[in-house]
Amino acid sequence: MSDTDKPTSTPADKPASSSAGKPANNSRQKAHQLLHAVRGEINKALIGQQAVVDDVLCALLAGGHVLIEGVPGLGKTLLVRALSKVFGGEFARIQFTPDLMPSDVTGHAVFDLKSEAFHLRKGPVFTNLLLADEINRAPAKTQAALLEVMQERQVTLEGEALPVPQPFMVLATQNPIEQEGTYPLPEAELDRFMLKLAIDYPSSDDEIALVRQVTRSAQADALEVSQLRTLLQPKDVQILQKITSEIALDEQVLDYAVRLVRTTRHWPGLILGAGPRASIALVRCARARALLRGGEFVIPDDIKACAAAVLRHRVRLSAELEIAGQGLEHVLAQLIEQVDAPRL
Amino acid sequence: MQLNNAQVVIRPRSPWEAVDLGTHLARQHAGLLISAQFLAMAAVLGVLSLVLMDYPTVVALIFWWLKPLYDRLPLFILSRALFGERPTLKQALRAWPSQMKAQWFANLTWRRFSPWRSFHLPVTQLEGLNGKPRTARLNVLSMRNSQPAAALTIVGVHLEIVLYFALFALVGMLLPPEVYDGWDFNPSDWLDDEPLWFAHLTNWLYLLVLAVWEPFYVAGGFTLYLNRRTELEAWDTELTFRRIAERLQKGSAALLLCAVCLLPALYSPSSLAAEGLCLPPSSEQLPPEERLLNQALTSQASEKAIHALLDEPPFSNPTTEYELKWGEDEPEKEKTAERDGKTPWWLKWLINSWKNSGGIARAFEVLLWLVVLSALAWLLWHYRHWLADFVGRLQNLKPAVRQRPTTLFGLELDSDSLPDDLAAAAEALWPNDPRQALSLLYRGLLVHLLDEHQVAIKNSHTEYEVLGLINAQQLPQLARYASNLTRHWINLAYGHQLPAASVGPALCQAWRIVLKAAAPLTAPATQAASA
Repeated sequence: MSDTDKPTSTPADKPASSSAGKPANNSRQKAHQLLHAVRGEINKALIGQQAVVDDVLCALLAGGHVLIEGVPGLGKTLLVRALSKVFGGEFARIQFTPDLMPSDVTGHAVFDLKSEAFHLRKGPVFTNLLLADEINRAPAKTQAALLEVMQERQVTLEGEALPVPQPFMVLATQNPIEQEGTYPLPEAELDRFMLKLAIDYPSSDDEIALVRQVTRSAQADALEVSQLRTLLQPKDVQILQKITSEIALDEQVLDYAVRLVRTTRHWPGLILGAGPRASIALVRCARARALLRGGEFVIPDDIKACAAAVLRHRVRLSAELEIAGQGLEHVLAQLIEQVDAPRL
Repeated sequence: MQLNNAQVVIRPRSPWEAVDLGTHLARQHAGLLISAQFLAMAAVLGVLSLVLMDYPTVVALIFWWLKPLYDRLPLFILSRALFGERPTLKQALRAWPSQMKAQWFANLTWRRFSPWRSFHLPVTQLEGLNGKPRTARLNVLSMRNSQPAAALTIVGVHLEIVLYFALFALVGMLLPPEVYDGWDFNPSDWLDDEPLWFAHLTNWLYLLVLAVWEPFYVAGGFTLYLNRRTELEAWDTELTFRRIAERLQKGSAALLLCAVCLLPALYSPSSLAAEGLCLPPSSEQLPPEERLLNQALTSQASEKAIHALLDEPPFSNPTTEYELKWGEDEPEKEKTAERDGKTPWWLKWLINSWKNSGGIARAFEVLLWLVVLSALAWLLWHYRHWLADFVGRLQNLKPAVRQRPTTLFGLELDSDSLPDDLAAAAEALWPNDPRQALSLLYRGLLVHLLDEHQVAIKNSHTEYEVLGLINAQQLPQLARYASNLTRHWINLAYGHQLPAASVGPALCQAWRIVLKAAAPLTAPATQAASA
């Protein structure tokens, strides 16, 4: 194959380096600095989970929702509380329980006996950051109450569509070990999460630092988030999201992202591949990651870095591999290793 | 009936509270009720006393027996007054004879001793129900509240007795002690013989007691009845809906709501509506009769339409089922057996087959084999996915021969595609096509790494991952150069940022120094890759 046969790269977006690039560059640099500060602030509270913090920030920038999975005690909820502290917008928390009803999430109309009129009582979803703690403890009907608001950023109450404040982000946590009395999230619900993050045990050094810090704190066994500074306002997040969406993306990189997602659909070890929403999420997340990295454009490494988190919950391992004891992470890593990176 | 006009707060109450409400209602209209009751009963008692002057006891008995007829009058007044149409004394007395007519015979005979008299009276008098519909209605109403109604009657009996003797005591207290001494009251003590007028006087005293108590008794039963209907038909909710509908009357949704709510009221029998309190009994309790004849949609037409609708899906789902039967001769046999009226065919068949039991054993054998085979088939079918996976996995387990890919990064791996003097070729390309020049240099670097340093570069490796591999090679000069080249290449390829003009020659120059020093490109060049 000669060089002439190779596809020449065409820009999918306007390259940022063109004449209008100067102010854009400037704002991008500011955004990067701000994000760097935010990251540092959250890492103060959540020690040893830099990768997860980065991923959560990516989702925030890309306007996506995050499902955080991890065994108890790794700071899932702390992460969200720290984020909400650094982010100045509204924050609401729903503890999902088996008897939680959809109307407890979205809100409902109540009949006031005195005025004999129906009053709309908005639920906790009308917020900027929503922590759905232990989301798999509520039955499917309650989990499904989040479907509309996660996709369309609106809630239909009594036939009226009410928009939720912008930016809106759902951070759900779940525990992978304890399965008794839980309801696995349905595929449609999972697909609406941009990222599924697996929070793992911190490294030895980090754990030492963590234990030192916690035991020094006044509270019993919790890291405090009250000392964190508030660095972001809802308006800032919207601006950051806009900057993120303007990050340049080469056609080759886009093609790489789509190829990655498409490969899951006919991969031998997977019985269920990821849908187009995965491609979209992958590209948006890669843009956010580029901004977080301080880059001016998306490179294949950005795509590769978030591929696992984007695909993890959107594919299903075949029973055969499950019996063989192969983990989904392993299969996904293999898959990512098998898809060609873009070349010229 | 206009629930909106009700003079009491309509809400579900406990039975005792309902009776209390009745007492309040009776107290509110006490003047009218007692005077009407008194006049009506006085007329009856007067006539009776005149006719049966010599038999005061008989008069008392008949007067007492006719109590259900007097009850009609207070109920008439209360039912009107409840909805703000309180009649005058004259109107009430005039309406009384017509109110008495309905089912008077039953009420005076077999229903005379019913302990639920006042509770059941509204059904008879206001709803005008009789026969089976009345029984059905009473059954529904009596599911609750019947005990308090009976208790009300029992209390009433006692109250009547207490009041009656209290009146006697009152009279006794007003008598001088010479005539009357203490509680041992016996008229025959101070009168030689109990005269007729005294017996009649006691009758009139009883009338006074009844005139006071009877309205309260009827009112208690009536409010118990109202309370039960409020529970059954959710009048309070209906009232609330009506108020909402009134308030929102402009909106179309409100009109709909209104229509839905008012439907039962609008379609109630008009004859009863004239009575003031029209109480529509539920449809299944009424015998079907033609109604609403003066409009396009009569009751019959709507009933037909409803039945037609009910005969269609999803209300009715006729299904046709096919099943296998024995051969044609079997039914005939069956018929003959049935006709004979003796042993049934299957018994005969069983006996016959039992006689030659070899046949039956074979039949069982076949049956058992069939069961085994079908169980096997079911197992196979049930685990078909698992089996497919298993077979597929066995196929997958075949040793995969790992071959060195013939092409990597879209170029031939034998270095044939690269020009002999790569740096010179890149330099030549630089002024016109810097992208191609950089591409050439980068691919040259990769081929160099593959061939000279045996770096395990995979198709899936991104540029920075390749850089990481180079760094692991412990060749600082090469690593520096590769880092520089990769940065320029990435900026151009993905960021569309052209490097400065001086970058190209510098990179080519460095290429010669770094890569020649590291190891010369061994592969002979066949053709120039760039055009």
